[in-house]
Amino acid sequence: MTRFIFPAPQIRNVKPAFVLVLLLTAGSGRGWPQSAGADLRGIWMAENKADANLERAHVIVDPPDGKIPYQPEAAAQQKQNFENRATADPEKQCFQPGVPRAAYLPSPFQIFQNDRGVYIVYQDAHSYRIIYLNGSPHNEGLGYAMGDSRGHWEGNTLVADVISFSDSTWLNAAGDYHSDELHVVERYTRVNPDTLMYEATIEDPKVFTRPWKIRMPLRLQKGIQILEDECEEGENGRRHHVTLFKETR
Amino acid sequence: MCQSQMGCPDQEYKIGLSSTLGPNVCLNGFSMRFCLLLISIAAFGQATKFEPPRLADGHPDLQGVWRNSSIVAAFNVEGQKAYDNEPGGASVIVDPPDGKLPYLAAALQKAEDNHVHRERDPTGHCHMHGVPRSLVPPFPTEIVEDNNYMVLLSETEHSIRIIPLDGRSHLRNYHAWAGDSRGHWEGDTLVVDVTEFNGKTWLDQSGNFVDENEHVVERFTMTAPDTIVYEARVEDPTVYSRPWTLRVSLRASAKRHRVDRIRLYRGRA
Repeated sequence: MTRFIFPAPQIRNVKPAFVLVLLLTAGSGRGWPQSAGADLRGIWMAENKADANLERAHVIVDPPDGKIPYQPEAAAQQKQNFENRATADPEKQCFQPGVPRAAYLPSPFQIFQNDRGVYIVYQDAHSYRIIYLNGSPHNEGLGYAMGDSRGHWEGNTLVADVISFSDSTWLNAAGDYHSDELHVVERYTRVNPDTLMYEATIEDPKVFTRPWKIRMPLRLQKGIQILEDECEEGENGRRHHVTLFKETR
Repeated sequence: MCQSQMGCPDQEYKIGLSSTLGPNVCLNGFSMRFCLLLISIAAFGQATKFEPPRLADGHPDLQGVWRNSSIVAAFNVEGQKAYDNEPGGASVIVDPPDGKLPYLAAALQKAEDNHVHRERDPTGHCHMHGVPRSLVPPFPTEIVEDNNYMVLLSETEHSIRIIPLDGRSHLRNYHAWAGDSRGHWEGDTLVVDVTEFNGKTWLDQSGNFVDENEHVVERFTMTAPDTIVYEARVEDPTVYSRPWTLRVSLRASAKRHRVDRIRLYRGRA
């Protein structure tokens, strides 16, 4: 993969007058802009097929064979999930998508930042995560659908450590799954203004024989806004209802 | 409004506004001595105007975790006497002055029917609270703000509201639980215009409601380091005979309460 050598995007892409204002006001205000130099704000979406099938989308970079390293019993469970995926996928029943799946669903998410945290708001099931940057410890042992996220910066890369998951989410629509011992380490790097490189190391001693890793680019989505995705209940059970709009009145 | 000393949770805010509220309050039968005290405190308050913390762009920094300090409005925005396990307290409706929702006759009937069938409350079915209800119950909401957006992340129902501040126009033909929000600053007050509702939300657990013609103008003003005064003017010509306004004080959580996601389970553990 091409490695971009790229200065922090907000330094490269703002007008000199704005930089002057920033310098003059540095330390006088709270929140934005970021001190760590990385500005991940924007609306992002994976433009790939990872949610349909991680293995077939060629996003698994470790192990080298690109296969999810299931333990034997877990592989059987995955096969059963796959067969029942039309009805058994928790995401399709409006449950929050979980991590890392939320990052590569075929629906957008928006990142906000302040000096306390990075806030990711997903269109899917209007779920959100707060990645705390204040060095506070994890809330351990609680079964969050979206986990408990604590982050830090490594240069311009946001590194998020995520634990305290429930076992009620899947990793994609193909029945790949995890237990409540899931541990995810995510890395977000804005390698150019329109691309957020997303990497996740996935570990789960109850399900996998070893940690494995996915990597994929997420693309900046211009001219859209996050729409409301609320659950609709009917004869066919619970399903997503994204509130679409038309420009004509 | 605030007729008894028991029902005055927002007293310091009223003091801050007493240059306008004072005469009415006095006419409403407060003792003259208390009125004089109010007015003198108001004069002092104006001399030492609260200076909010600010973002780098100069606008007030409203970021943090907030929640409504009073409980009764979650049960009934018009206030109620305590009964069963529900607390009593004053109405949070500051206009009209009698604290009552100005229902049209047919809508009042529907509200009364809702009250009998409170199991229909959409939040009981895990739906989003809507506007202004999302800020009325005493559940925490984190505000995240930058030069382009204010974001409200609620713990309950993991409700989200993304409010663009860049002057873009409303979506059209969009009908959402939380509507479509556009914000701008008027001085140090953030004003948010919300339309495009789906008309399914309630205002409280009593069955007070709005429909798809709802239009809300919200005003967020930080009046003390730990206080945001939240005002919502609601207009809905097919439900109410006139616009009405509710006002509550949002308090900063002393412990920087963590906003977690409350997740309701229905039919699946």
